[in-house]
Amino acid sequence: MIRSFLAWLDDRTGYAAFMHEALYERVPGGARWRYVWGSTLVFTFSIQLITGFFLWTAYSPSASTAWESVYYIQNEMTFGSVVRGLHHFTAQLMVVLMGVHLVQVIIDGAYKAPREVNFWLGLVLMQIVLGLSLTGYLLPWDQKGYYATKVATKIMGAAPVVGTEVQQLVQGGSEYGHHTLTRFFALHAGLLPASLIAFLGLHLYVFRRHGLTVHDPNHAPETTFWPDQVLKDGIACLAVLLLVLGLAIWKGAELSAPANPSESYAAARPEWYFLFLFRFLKFEFIEHFGLAFGSIYVPGALMGIVAVMPLVGRLAWGHKFNVYFTWSVTIGIAGLTLLAFYEDGTDESHQAAILEAHRDAERIKELAGGPNKIPVTGAVTLLREDPFTQGPRLFAKHCFSCHRYDGHDGTGRLVYTTDAEGNQVVSAPTAVDLGQFGSPEWMKSVVVDYANHFSVLKNAEWFKNKGDDDVLDPDGSDMADWSGDSDSLNSAQNADNVKALVAFLVAGTGHKENGAARAHDEKLVARGRVLAVDGDWDGAINGTSCADCHTSVGEPKFTEVSEDDADGVPNISGYGSAAWLKSFLSNPGAAQHYGDKNQMPSYAKAMTEAEMDLLVRWLVGDYQPTKVERYEDRRRAAQPSVPAAKPDAE
Amino acid sequence: MLDELTPADDNVEDASPETSDTGEASEATGATEVPGGEEESVSDGVAESSDEVETGDEATDATDAADDDDDDDSNVEVAGDGAPRRTFLTQVLAGTVGAVVGLVPVLSGLVFFLDPLLRDDSGGGEGAEGGGNRDADGFVKLAVSRSALKPGGAPQQVTVVDDLVDAWNKFPNVPIGSVWLHRTDGGDVVAFNTVCPHLGCAVEYRNVQNDFYCPCHLSAFKLDGTKNNPIPPRDMDSLEVKADTGDEIWVQFKNFRGAIAEKVEV
Repeated sequence: MIRSFLAWLDDRTGYAAFMHEALYERVPGGARWRYVWGSTLVFTFSIQLITGFFLWTAYSPSASTAWESVYYIQNEMTFGSVVRGLHHFTAQLMVVLMGVHLVQVIIDGAYKAPREVNFWLGLVLMQIVLGLSLTGYLLPWDQKGYYATKVATKIMGAAPVVGTEVQQLVQGGSEYGHHTLTRFFALHAGLLPASLIAFLGLHLYVFRRHGLTVHDPNHAPETTFWPDQVLKDGIACLAVLLLVLGLAIWKGAELSAPANPSESYAAARPEWYFLFLFRFLKFEFIEHFGLAFGSIYVPGALMGIVAVMPLVGRLAWGHKFNVYFTWSVTIGIAGLTLLAFYEDGTDESHQAAILEAHRDAERIKELAGGPNKIPVTGAVTLLREDPFTQGPRLFAKHCFSCHRYDGHDGTGRLVYTTDAEGNQVVSAPTAVDLGQFGSPEWMKSVVVDYANHFSVLKNAEWFKNKGDDDVLDPDGSDMADWSGDSDSLNSAQNADNVKALVAFLVAGTGHKENGAARAHDEKLVARGRVLAVDGDWDGAINGTSCADCHTSVGEPKFTEVSEDDADGVPNISGYGSAAWLKSFLSNPGAAQHYGDKNQMPSYAKAMTEAEMDLLVRWLVGDYQPTKVERYEDRRRAAQPSVPAAKPDAE
Repeated sequence: MLDELTPADDNVEDASPETSDTGEASEATGATEVPGGEEESVSDGVAESSDEVETGDEATDATDAADDDDDDDSNVEVAGDGAPRRTFLTQVLAGTVGAVVGLVPVLSGLVFFLDPLLRDDSGGGEGAEGGGNRDADGFVKLAVSRSALKPGGAPQQVTVVDDLVDAWNKFPNVPIGSVWLHRTDGGDVVAFNTVCPHLGCAVEYRNVQNDFYCPCHLSAFKLDGTKNNPIPPRDMDSLEVKADTGDEIWVQFKNFRGAIAEKVEV
């Protein structure tokens, strides 16, 4: 029954001859492991077609939905991370396997007559695969892909004669936008795979026409493709699958923060298999010849030499030249790749940029996964309006030249300067480290160790050039005097009182811890308020209160003190709170703040109100709770002399 | 099932064309069989295949291959040996009709694809001119005041906020790029687009070297924007700062093409 059906089918379709052609190719010298590379490439392409189709069912190519849909695939959809991971890692492996395949073909002389045309078909396939990886890199529309691809399209723009036009066509306009994505996607999911299928068909057809390139036909008895070689190919494909599946599950495909044209991405690098080219472009002597030379002519010439190999191979020394050339280029590529990895690995600022990018990626995942989901304006607005990630950046823009945050510039980077001998050294801050701002340790240090707490000011030029008005000297400053009264304030009998005052001051800041309000001991806070307002201390300082000078200290929250009412000392009502910070940042030299002693610039005219809000909310911990860790505390690395808040005795 | 695919020895040879004597033999037969003329050839093919039905499995394989060759050969011969005028006209007509039906959709598609080059406003994208925050001359006000910059001090990076038009969307009041502002010792404010003229990464300020520096390909520039090493193709792209605006800073924000020695607006 089945037999007669198959006979009928064969008569109508001729499938038997086709299957025969496909399966019973002669394999002289027996099945070999060295023949598996081509098959693994076909296999990786099949994986890409399959996973690519399913990704397509959930992907949305536009500037305000691409990242968002990929986020959804990666983090919310069932098996999304597996499918995307397979696609992501198989793409990289495909490039590697392609390189191996090409090198092997050249070494084995399989490009020689009668296989020249098939060699050229293979080179066409290679360009298509590289085109697929280039277009695919942009589609997630994340910072990494966005900035790496921008470099690629700028290189296109540097091409002679038609560069600009090609760039505009590829981008779908003069700048990146919706149409960049729709075009890249049409290429990536339409034209390029269709061409790949067509050329792969030709490649396989011509391959079968000429058969395997066999060096030692006497290696083993001749066999056929099925089943001996198929088994070996299958095992190789299984190894490929296990590798990419393992990477997809254990490592996971990366998705950096959504593309933001107005925010630089210092960690920008091309996909790792293009690193050699990236590194090549960094050589200054290459740049002397112009950008097109290094990025277009040299790679083009290398490809050109590869393309004429079948012709060169006809010459007496031709094959030898081709093999040596291939090895030199391979070693050169490997060397440049390793060099790029090594340099990036030891480059402190690049590592800091990678860490920052990683934190952004983690943070946007939290924000996008929140109950409000992603607004229609896109995920990039979530990040733009997030104090936890923008605060540090603003700090690094506006504050770091005097202040530090846990010893760094807010974004984990140490601040350097050059010393007299021209060595690069960590720069000494000239204003207090704000990493612990408003914490109990900070407040205690301000109260009981005032002069030391602010001693970092001594690094500042203005301090060195100041007159006798010494804000840190007990003789010149009432606050330093009071705080320095160690016999009384720091004595054991006042320990509980200090604790209460600190609790009161900390409560006044209203700082949150990771988005959640801090718990306060209300009795302690109330007692602290009494101390601050009435000065109910033990020992010599009894009767001296904060309110003696800071008249507004008892107010429950920051209360503006007008210029007329200012008492020549800082207004510390709601000291450290968001309202206090904004008032202070807007005009630190106001009478109610530092008055004529002020050295800090006003920021009302240096940042927008929205920016100041972000900075302040970050400083007071007012943002959606996060699991992303703070930047490492680098106070120790920054400078041993930085007066870190003294560890609390408790 | 695979056993039934007739893996007989002669067929294994058949799979490799060099050794395929059956193929060559039938090719020769085919050539003699065709007297010329397309219609005849087709009917010939039909006749052959009706024969084949009776000949059974093995024979089918061989004649099938021969059949394919038949068609190819007959075409070549018709073209080659000076066919009658009627056939020639048919060929021209067929070719023309084929070209028209093929090219019309392809060409209209291509013209459509060239849209970014053909349309006047170049499709929008970031930084399209004439956003709502710009004055008549295309200057946009920055959030920083002149007095907030110290003469001779470190440069300040400022985000430029304007309407962004991207194809069918208009996003009001969003960051469209950023500039480095530097106040010279003389008090003048100079502005540079932060986009590196090399390959478009963002230029950073290095306080140790007191220079601008691109973390991608190591381009370096002095604070006045002139290039400090041979990597960038030109100096940083300076932007016009409006004069006589008091404490306000207005900058004519533009983007420029990367990777070339000339400063050409995008």
